[in-house]
Amino acid sequence: MYVSPRAQEFAQSTLERVIPDESELTAGVRIEPGKSYGFFTDTTVCIGCKACEVACKEWNNLPADNLGLTGHSYDNTGALSANSWRHVAFVETSGNGGVRATREAPFQSGWLMLSDVCKHCHNAPCLEACPTGALFKTEFDTVVVQQDICNGCGYCVPACPFGVVDIGSNDGKAHKCTLCYDRLKGGLEPACAKSCPTDSIQFGEVAELQRHAAERVIHLHDLGVSNAYLYGVPNSPGATGGLGHLNAFFLLTARPEVYNLPVAPTRPSRRVAPSLLSGLMAVAGLAVAAAAILSRRE
Amino acid sequence: MPTMRGTITIAQESRFQMVEHHGATHLFTLAPNASSEPAQIAALAARQARVRVKYRRGDNVLANVAERIDIDLAPEIAPGVTPGPASCT
Repeated sequence: MYVSPRAQEFAQSTLERVIPDESELTAGVRIEPGKSYGFFTDTTVCIGCKACEVACKEWNNLPADNLGLTGHSYDNTGALSANSWRHVAFVETSGNGGVRATREAPFQSGWLMLSDVCKHCHNAPCLEACPTGALFKTEFDTVVVQQDICNGCGYCVPACPFGVVDIGSNDGKAHKCTLCYDRLKGGLEPACAKSCPTDSIQFGEVAELQRHAAERVIHLHDLGVSNAYLYGVPNSPGATGGLGHLNAFFLLTARPEVYNLPVAPTRPSRRVAPSLLSGLMAVAGLAVAAAAILSRRE
Repeated sequence: MPTMRGTITIAQESRFQMVEHHGATHLFTLAPNASSEPAQIAALAARQARVRVKYRRGDNVLANVAERIDIDLAPEIAPGVTPGPASCT
């Protein structure tokens, strides 16, 4: 395991101040404005502990929501929402082609777990739909909602092809993961990635993460997990329909829809021109029909 | 409308955590029509200001919705605790 040489400078248990560029020690990356940062979520090592959900709620001061039991396996979060910016999905399967297919008892299911989050799309549809400019790209190439500018119109909600953005029922404003924008500005790794005990959630520069993820897929293929693939890197499922690539991308071992991810997400703005054209054609058709009917009467 | 008094300790966007003088902690979200802005919440948290919050219960969350925030000019201090320097403007 790689340990930064700087770690020896902070061997004491209690620290008087925040460690400068702490992410160098915890994630092996120095956070600098102008670079592109994101998450690589390797679902093959997710154990469903929900530490990421808790860390996110703790750091961002998000209240518990959806009180009660959903009845869906161990998943009581249900879905990403205005108050849940991380959601660990529990998908019960049988076998799954060698992944977690270790000696299951009869009638015992296997598990696929995935910590879902805002994808911080390269070409973010929510940002394109926002009429007030409340959604913006940060200096770290992440997408954030400015709460004091959001007017709660909700255009971003249907624009997101992943169903991430949500309007808070109590404050009427759009909310979603900020990729811990405040922590990035302070040189800290995002809370969810830092809390992940198995490094299923890895934080870093997107290009570096994509390289590392490609190596991980090759390694898994060598181990016999032939169904491992990446979702959200260029020219792969998830990075379709003009989205470019996803800054938060995933390594999956089943079809995207099994994890409740769209197979081919698209930017709604791409549908504006065809929609406008079809509308104009409909109006023209109606005008021609009306003219024909009126001319017959005369 | 119920009122709670305490100190704002954490502010994140339009959400904040308030600690009552006897130590109980509560989460709040600013109501859309609240008389305060998120930036003011952060300033109050930085100053550890004692405040009085008028609130209602939130829908489907373990949090309250703050309708009005005022500087608490006559803070209740727990028995045996010496009031610190005034933190209000």
